[in-house]
Amino acid sequence: MHQLPIVEWLGMKFDLSSIIMIVVTLIIVLLIAMLATRKLSVTNPSKLQNFVEWIVDFVRNLIASTMDMKRGSKFVMLGITLIMFIFVANMLGLPFAIVTEHTEPMQSISVTQESIEDAKEKGYAGAHVLWWKSPTADVSVTMGLAIMVIFLAHYLGLARNTKHYLHHYIEPHPAFFPLNVIKEVSKLLTLGLRLFGNIYAGEVLIGVILLAGVFGILPLIAWQGFSIFVGAIQAFVFTILTMVYISQNIEHKH
Amino acid sequence: MHFYWTSTVFALIAFGVLYFLLSKYAFGPLMSIMEKRRVHIQDQLAGAEESKKQAEQLLEEQKAAIQQARKEAYEIIEQSKLTSSKQAEDIVSAAKVEADRLKAEAQKDIENEKNKAIAELKTQVGQWSVAIAKEILGKEIDASAQQAIVSQFLQESGGKAKQ
Repeated sequence: MHQLPIVEWLGMKFDLSSIIMIVVTLIIVLLIAMLATRKLSVTNPSKLQNFVEWIVDFVRNLIASTMDMKRGSKFVMLGITLIMFIFVANMLGLPFAIVTEHTEPMQSISVTQESIEDAKEKGYAGAHVLWWKSPTADVSVTMGLAIMVIFLAHYLGLARNTKHYLHHYIEPHPAFFPLNVIKEVSKLLTLGLRLFGNIYAGEVLIGVILLAGVFGILPLIAWQGFSIFVGAIQAFVFTILTMVYISQNIEHKH
Repeated sequence: MHFYWTSTVFALIAFGVLYFLLSKYAFGPLMSIMEKRRVHIQDQLAGAEESKKQAEQLLEEQKAAIQQARKEAYEIIEQSKLTSSKQAEDIVSAAKVEADRLKAEAQKDIENEKNKAIAELKTQVGQWSVAIAKEILGKEIDASAQQAIVSQFLQESGGKAKQ
């Protein structure tokens, strides 16, 4: 439907829209956090401070539900960063999208004659380049987060809990080794693709509803509301799964 | 759907930067504030517990003091009741004694007065009888002898009168 603004630099392809949106997400999260923690107070917290304290407590409870808090307190910051980054990222694509229409080839963002012809065949005036979207609607970004989480979980297991960690690959019998490996790989894929799928599908459906014009207003409102819910749930799911995977690898018991 | 590993790397770097900035400038201080508040609340709770204990102890002491005071008051009342009834008895008995004494004195006085009056009457009668006798006899007799005769006479008649 839309194509991405791909820039080639030093022989590498960069997806400009994802990079821009990641930076936007980063700035929004930082702004919220900085505003909320500007005037910290022990006895008389502001509304925003209360809000971020609620986030901290929420993530703490979430971690406490998966592992012993003595070990879990180190991951509070990770959980907060994950949930805020993913939630804000999920919300960004909902209110609007920025799309540019190109009738002339623009090599710098990979708009070629071919892609313009393609779009014209489908009845558009030119190639559509998508600039504003949820960064989490990009599989490269969500897989990046998933790789980080899975790598962290396995590193912690290997470094802190070596014997139990290695032993669990041959549980309950060495013949199960391939299955256990598949299980670990599938964790990586499901973690990244679940987030991507939910958010990407949400944006695609918004695009589809927009095609309905005036008749799409009511469904659009409903779907936007539902997307807020989905975005919040996915941020929560990603964070709690992160903690579950970490706890599985660092816990001694089975 | 294409996979651009540059986006992946950029996302990881951005996430790392976000993690660092958030923990250093936002949530690090926030968590230390929350910890401070936790300690503060614990202190307050401990203080409240302490005050409560003290209040309870004071209450207990007050109760004991009130009990003591009540007991003492009761004792004092009992004591005073006892004292007052005893005093009343004393006063009554003293009054009785006084009354008896006054009565006895009065009787004695009456007796005295009576005796005095009798004695005076005796003397008067003696003198009168001497005077009468002097008048009748026309001659002087020894007054003292006369007196003795009269006394003797009166003694006899008085004795008769008494009988």
